[in-house]
Amino acid sequence: MSLTERLHFFHQAIAWKGDIALQSRYSMGVAGERFFREIKDNGRLMATRCPNCGYTYLPARLYCERCFAELTEWVEVPPRGKVYAFTVVHFDLEEKPLEKPRVLALVEFEGSDGGLIHDLEGVAPDRVEIGMPVEVVFKQERNGSILDIAGFQPL
Amino acid sequence: MSERICHYPGTSLKEQDFSQGKVLQTWWYPKADYAWDAGVAVGKFLAGLKAGRILAIQCPQCRRVLVPPRMVCEHCFVPTSHWVELPGTGVVKTFSICTVRWDMERLETPIIPAVIALDGAAPGAGFMHFLNEVEPKPEVVRIGMRVEAVWRPAEERTAAITDILYFRPIKEGQP
Repeated sequence: MSLTERLHFFHQAIAWKGDIALQSRYSMGVAGERFFREIKDNGRLMATRCPNCGYTYLPARLYCERCFAELTEWVEVPPRGKVYAFTVVHFDLEEKPLEKPRVLALVEFEGSDGGLIHDLEGVAPDRVEIGMPVEVVFKQERNGSILDIAGFQPL
Repeated sequence: MSERICHYPGTSLKEQDFSQGKVLQTWWYPKADYAWDAGVAVGKFLAGLKAGRILAIQCPQCRRVLVPPRMVCEHCFVPTSHWVELPGTGVVKTFSICTVRWDMERLETPIIPAVIALDGAAPGAGFMHFLNEVEPKPEVVRIGMRVEAVWRPAEERTAAITDILYFRPIKEGQP
């Protein structure tokens, strides 16, 4: 009876391997468009401030998620901040060991709430500290994505 | 939609807005690799293909010979039991002449997917594969046409359904 049939050797197990061709195109939305245009064209960070509750969104948002107010006040945020949290990454997405560990940091910027997550470079992983002052490094060639920022470096 | 909302305020985008660079865009290609476990019945079937054999399984109750094989007869709900080998010949049950590939690429040479009733298998146990060597042109394919399997050379087989390259019409005068 075949229900009692078993595979007795590992090599008998056959798996069918494939990959699903998928691609997605993301547009940043009204506020995201302006936020990334400012990075691309002017190399500066812009945030939106809620007139109702005073919360300042970085990255910029179109609506306040706390009081649902429309956000029309844009403010420039200096590209300097402090490490709020960080992690040291030793493996890539396929779980292969990295030659050099990456430090990923969430950085808060003065005069804004929220923050940006990016690579923190120019500092040894065991030297990173919470509260450490860092600045944003923009790439020379920019095409309108978060990768227009090369990363953060210590001040 | 709620009665109070008669339209959604939003910003619609057209393809031109992207192609003309009016809006920023980020492309992403998710890595969607997968492995599908063939299981006992299909695993044995695929291993059989590698050895150049088409293995089917019979239901002990209704006696249907199922190909590709499965562990349970879906008519009787009983475990299938008896493995049999089928000759690689059969009859075209239905077919399609495709001039466009799955990803909408136009094909120079049409491909002909077909459902084949293999000799010895239960009526209705369709075996899906391609037809080829249909001379002089694909349009001569007919339902009821007798066909035979053309195998990949033994050393190139990978225990996949493509170990059978395609089915071709059996020429006049052959069995």
